[in-house]
Amino acid sequence: MKTDFKTWFASLPAVPGVIACGVRQPNGKWGGFSDEKNFPAEKIGNLLQQFAELHEPLAPAELPARWTTWVFEYGQLRFVPRPDQWLLLLVVGPETEAAQSLDQFSEIFLALPMK
Amino acid sequence: MTKANQPGPRHHVLIVDDDRDYLAAAGDAFAWLSDNVWEIHVATGAAQAQAAVETGKIQLAVLDVKPAGSEVAELIGQLRQRQPKLKIVVMAGTAMDETRAASLAAGADLFLEKPVSPEGLNAVFQNFCELLGWALPPPNPAARRSVGLTDLIQIECQARNSSVLEIFREHSLGRIYIEEGQIIHAVCGEFSGETAFQKLLGIAGGTFELRDFELPPERTLNRTWEYLLAEAARQRELSGLRGRAGGAVSGDAVSTEPAGSASELLICAGDGEMLYQWQCADAAARLKLLQNIAHRAGALVFEIQLGKLDRLEIQLADGRAILQPRADRLIFARIAAPFVK
Repeated sequence: MKTDFKTWFASLPAVPGVIACGVRQPNGKWGGFSDEKNFPAEKIGNLLQQFAELHEPLAPAELPARWTTWVFEYGQLRFVPRPDQWLLLLVVGPETEAAQSLDQFSEIFLALPMK
Repeated sequence: MTKANQPGPRHHVLIVDDDRDYLAAAGDAFAWLSDNVWEIHVATGAAQAQAAVETGKIQLAVLDVKPAGSEVAELIGQLRQRQPKLKIVVMAGTAMDETRAASLAAGADLFLEKPVSPEGLNAVFQNFCELLGWALPPPNPAARRSVGLTDLIQIECQARNSSVLEIFREHSLGRIYIEEGQIIHAVCGEFSGETAFQKLLGIAGGTFELRDFELPPERTLNRTWEYLLAEAARQRELSGLRGRAGGAVSGDAVSTEPAGSASELLICAGDGEMLYQWQCADAAARLKLLQNIAHRAGALVFEIQLGKLDRLEIQLADGRAILQPRADRLIFARIAAPFVK
């Protein structure tokens, strides 16, 4: 069933407005891609790590997040943590098809079987 | 070389780069952005930088990642040795992880990519101010037309000015009277007092003019300006949250009743002073969370290069929380599920 996830994940960059996307597995391995020079692969890996850390203070504050959206001037970052430790990061441009689809992508990621 | 022509206390900033064009451009830009409060010192190499810091005046050193005559980590150590309290920022054309790690390990306070746009430069400037705890310069009076009504009221009150603000949308809609920094009267159509004040601040798309003070026909407001602006911010925030969540919002008719959808609200000044809280079980914990997010997200802004952070939206099982860690205001709002799709 991992193929299903891979197929879905591989289709994300084709959605208009997707700037970068990355995923981290429970074992720490991660992958991602972007055509933007501002988002080299190493940066995606770093961002996955940093946003995972940014999530840490939320649960103790009684804010257990299904996902978070970081809204910047020129784009949005969607970070989706799964209970089984898979993490998804999406970077999208403002007012794009991808931005409109963030909730849908998040729900799919949360529901996809990973084993 | 220094550039300064503004009397009064200065902040001394040293920029180190072997590119003289960059030094000139960055120096001019930071001097302009700071309204010449920053006195810019420049150095083209490590030896000049050390000599500048040796004077004891420099408060912030902005280093190119490859300074002439030294490795950046080595230079950081040398500058720290001369002035332990010096704040040091390393800037690179492209932020590489190993260089970032080496710079921070050597004692740099921040590692940033060099800005490539005016917006980026302004963001870097604001980040420097936050790092040093320096106040952002007040808007130039000549630029007041681009300042928001709330900002202008705050400026007038903080300066303890006396003035009358007239608000228009095609025709005059109302007036706000400020006497020696206190908001003493507001009128909007048939309304006066706090209701009129909140209506005027809730108007979308209006313009306003600052007029000389004149005595109002009556005095209808006696709350502090901080309270009145915080209440107005709360109203706008709730309206905005309703709008984002799909609720109906009227730009003109601002309810003075707490919105049924909001289950928690906290508004603080940028320095953490609590201005308004509603149904916060632990406001101090919320403030700490806001400050934590603001601090950690501030460092990410430069890595992500998507401009300033506007807000963080947290999707919860039973609703949504929104955090807005702005430089001048920290806002936390939690909205119950009915307004969340």
